[in-house]
Amino acid sequence: MALTLDKPPKTAKVSKNGKPTGAGPRVKRHFSRQWQLWVMLIPAIGFTALFAYGPMYGIQLAFREFDFTKGLTGGEWVGLKYFVKFFESPQFWTLMRNTATISLTTLVFGFVAPIFLAILVNQVISRRRKRFTQTATYLPHFISIVVIVGMLQVFLSPSTGLITRFLGFFGIEGVNFLGSTSTFVPVYVISEVWQHCGWNSIIYLAALAGVNTQLYEAARIDGANRFQVIRHIDFPALVPTMVVLLILNMGGVLNAGFEKIFLMQNTLNLPVSEVISTYVYKIGIIGSQFSYSTAIGLFNTAINFAFLVITNQIAKRVSNTSLW
Amino acid sequence: MSQHRSARSRKAAVTVAFMATASLVLSACGGGGDSDAGGGDGNEVTILVTKHPLTKPMSEMAWVTELEEKADVTIRWEEVSADWDQKKNPLLAAGDVPDLIIGPNAITDSDLATFGTLFEDLSDDMDALPNVQAMFDEVDGAEAMATSLEGPVYSLPSYKRFWPQAITHQYINQQWLDTLGLETPTTWDELFDVLVAFKEGDPNGNGQADEIPLDFSPVGTTGFGYFQPTALLGSTGMTISGGGGSGIFVEDGTVANFFVDERYKDVVAFLNQCWEAGLISEEAFTQDYSTYQSVARGTGDQARVGFSWGWSGSDRFGPGVYEQYAPMAPLMAEAGQSETPSWSYDYENLTRNHLTMSAQAANKDAVLRVVNELYSEDTSMQELFGDIGPNVEKVSDTEYKVLPPADTNLDPSTWKWTSSLADNGAFYIREDATVELPADLAEAVEDAVPLQPAFDALDVDANVWPGPFIKMSSEDLSTISLNNTAIFGVAMPKFAEWITSGGVEEQWDDYVTQLEGLGVTQNDELHQKYYDDYIASK
Amino acid sequence: MSTLTRLRSRTPGDIAFTVLVSVSLVVIVFVTLYPIYFVMIASVSAPALVQAGDVSFIPKGINWFGYEQILNDSRIWNGYKNTLIYTVLGTAVNMLVTIPAAYALSRRDFAARRPLMLFFAFTMFFNGGLIPTYMLYKEIGLLNNMWVFILPSALNVYNLIIARAFYEHSLPEELYEAATLDGANHFQFFFKMAIPLSKAILSVIMLYYIVQHWNDFFTGLIFIRDYDKQPLQIVLRDILISNTAFAGGAGGAGGTGGGYGQQFADQIKYGVIVVSTLPVIILYPFLQKYFEKGVMIGSVKG
Repeated sequence: MALTLDKPPKTAKVSKNGKPTGAGPRVKRHFSRQWQLWVMLIPAIGFTALFAYGPMYGIQLAFREFDFTKGLTGGEWVGLKYFVKFFESPQFWTLMRNTATISLTTLVFGFVAPIFLAILVNQVISRRRKRFTQTATYLPHFISIVVIVGMLQVFLSPSTGLITRFLGFFGIEGVNFLGSTSTFVPVYVISEVWQHCGWNSIIYLAALAGVNTQLYEAARIDGANRFQVIRHIDFPALVPTMVVLLILNMGGVLNAGFEKIFLMQNTLNLPVSEVISTYVYKIGIIGSQFSYSTAIGLFNTAINFAFLVITNQIAKRVSNTSLW
Repeated sequence: MSQHRSARSRKAAVTVAFMATASLVLSACGGGGDSDAGGGDGNEVTILVTKHPLTKPMSEMAWVTELEEKADVTIRWEEVSADWDQKKNPLLAAGDVPDLIIGPNAITDSDLATFGTLFEDLSDDMDALPNVQAMFDEVDGAEAMATSLEGPVYSLPSYKRFWPQAITHQYINQQWLDTLGLETPTTWDELFDVLVAFKEGDPNGNGQADEIPLDFSPVGTTGFGYFQPTALLGSTGMTISGGGGSGIFVEDGTVANFFVDERYKDVVAFLNQCWEAGLISEEAFTQDYSTYQSVARGTGDQARVGFSWGWSGSDRFGPGVYEQYAPMAPLMAEAGQSETPSWSYDYENLTRNHLTMSAQAANKDAVLRVVNELYSEDTSMQELFGDIGPNVEKVSDTEYKVLPPADTNLDPSTWKWTSSLADNGAFYIREDATVELPADLAEAVEDAVPLQPAFDALDVDANVWPGPFIKMSSEDLSTISLNNTAIFGVAMPKFAEWITSGGVEEQWDDYVTQLEGLGVTQNDELHQKYYDDYIASK
Repeated sequence: MSTLTRLRSRTPGDIAFTVLVSVSLVVIVFVTLYPIYFVMIASVSAPALVQAGDVSFIPKGINWFGYEQILNDSRIWNGYKNTLIYTVLGTAVNMLVTIPAAYALSRRDFAARRPLMLFFAFTMFFNGGLIPTYMLYKEIGLLNNMWVFILPSALNVYNLIIARAFYEHSLPEELYEAATLDGANHFQFFFKMAIPLSKAILSVIMLYYIVQHWNDFFTGLIFIRDYDKQPLQIVLRDILISNTAFAGGAGGAGGTGGGYGQQFADQIKYGVIVVSTLPVIILYPFLQKYFEKGVMIGSVKG
């Protein structure tokens, strides 16, 4: 069924089948066809160029000594000095290990949980109950981190915590959830997933909303049970979104968030809770270690970016979804 | 269908929107904000003040209006009560410095070392600052504290003379001792027995074993502070400062770090013994400060904590039960020991870096007038305690009386912090002023009395690390702080681990070797160098 | 399809499945809602009881001190007003910048799309740092200016990527081909077809941007000096911190307000959550209908 438009098209002379015959004409052809797309992109490119690439020169600070009298980038060039300093610091491996553990665990569970939740919620037939469930699950996302940690301290307190007592019924006794190197990561990850799962499932629910309802009807008619419906209709509908989000999440592989970890840190869990971001904060507050902290930050993001690129390449080969 | 019309109107809408956005961007660029440093018209002075969050707006303080009149200026305040360390760096790096920055160590020595050229060298302006000169003349160490390593005076300290030499005070529940017929302990062993009795004897009489014999302020991951178990180091004869800090202490002129000292091991072992006997609060290592404080308040008139450290009885234990507690003298580690028990020697009266002035101030004279006024006698008193009238009564030219809170729901300390800058201000309280102190401060001074013998016999120069008076080069500061981060990363968790799970004896030697490698030795040497220079210059 | 129809066609497998789903969801909702409920009752309960773990299902020692403190603070209302302005304007700019760009990047025959994507994605990781950014804003006059809440964050690359993915995969290729064959250009296809069909993703992205603006406190913290331009989050953070200031120990040594401040610190903490999230909670149901099934306006057959 062809679409009818109200006006005759203005640029009717465009042909999709023209072959490029040289660089000049090719560019011209590209522009004559695609100029509208460029117009649509101009604001985005403009803002990014100004606000993101504008300050980009500041990255040099990682390779220079910060000398205020010479301006931000006038300091002496020291190359990889601060990177080496970081690699050789006694805490380097501990920081890397802690950061990677916390990040990757959060990433894995944080990636999978919203998918399951979205599929589950999607099964609810009654619209009102579905909306209620959706709203209930995304609410925790808005609670500020200070309060989340405060609640964790109340619920997991060794003597009076609600959860501590609840688990005591099941015989799990004597575990200090807040102050133990073995419980820090689980407590952190579970509370992260709990807080953001509902919010993160919104995008998946939106994708599921776009599934053609006729597919469901056809499946019903074919006699599929609910599991099969999920496996063959719901899940594939989510795959493109999943791949994109997975790639993006892998770009956060070394990003154990600062504020929550900082608030949860105490002397008992420090061996596993000291991560790159809290380390940078600590060296920053005492001295103006601009170059050093910039170098560490750059190292951190470089690793993240590398993971993103790798995951993107894998995704390109394995599926037809990728970032570029 | 309506697609026809909506498409066209949508297209128009979008075009308009694009143009609007473009013009907005342009107007925003032109329009700009008013983020200038330095005053606009002839007598405007911009001041950034880091306030305690409870403090009311500066414009509501009467002494501010008085000051503006006396100095013939209009002040534009920027009041910061949170996240100053995050705001500070971009401000300094971009050179956006207000005429004055006021606040306790708002600009640190390290900032001054890095950004020195942004700030005015006040030693050139002393003619305009007679009140500050008076402080330098009359208060020992004030000028040294204000002078940076290379010579310029970039910042001014504050002097308030009423604070006791020791900030951490030691308390025991006297009522419980009386109920159980016990004597006030004088040694660690006696303390242990008393704590056991507290735990088992139900001294608060409510039929439940809910007593917490020993509780202390949460120990952070970046060293020690007031109200923490490092107070026990004094029992061994060691004198620490500021509650311990990064472990640096001085003994007979030699600088060392207690993190690798046997006596620290003894304290940890003792605490471990207490922990194993269930004498320390289970939450000691995981609770936050407000939980720790609220637990000590007990319920109604039933106390919960037996022995602890704090600033004053009422602050630590609350109005309901504080009268049950009595301040104590330092304990001895062992009966009959030869070392005189000592205590943490703190410096809270002369505090540094309360005021810095921008080198780019537009109305330099006006700014200097403000600075001089701040350090005048009356204004200083009002900065500390509140306006003359509602907060302070001026009995005569040199006599003041701090009044009880006008708001009867508040305790004197909260009242002080709400009414004015309190300890954060830039001021000089004269030695010759007679002041009747507010109840809480008077109480704290009282509670410090039993600790005084520890300081009577002390040769301060040879046995106390003179922290506030030491100025280090930015390179050394940087080395020390990086070393400390590595050291704390190992030492602080060990502290907690050894107390809760034991093992200090077995792991001690390896731990010491590890810490020395992480920079303890290097830090000791650096500190020693500066200490020697300081003593020589006295 | 009505519930009744469903019931009739159920097999035992289906019933077991439904039970499983229902039970799981009930547990999930309880686990998610209980802490929210806790926040609400804690915001009106006596803080000492909350700390002691005595408050579990009903508020105890009810008092409204927390809310009084928060709502009597006139700065709150100014903060709300500012946040509303910044959110509305900001989101409008965001949508105008992001959605057309996402569409453009989704067109497979657009030769520049991969390099452009890299151009954008790179900025998610590498940025010049706070100080160069501050200096840039200073130079173009954005410091202490309300536009700093709107312009620099005009494009969120993460949202761009998600929107692009939607346009790439959920907009049927046949639709696009048919339109092109008919001679439609990009503008026409975008406005007449793509936008109407992408209500779900538009709602999601709009929601993301709204929440991003709503929760933003860092911008105001660093780049704004005048208090009356500050958004709600900054005001709330100030109130929050004023009452949890003691977390750092006896800061300023000696007498740091052992009195009421401490006592009610936590109550205010919880109250702040309620005040700050209420508007978003109210907004969400309005957008929710776009996520529901059957929103697609028909489909292409054959």
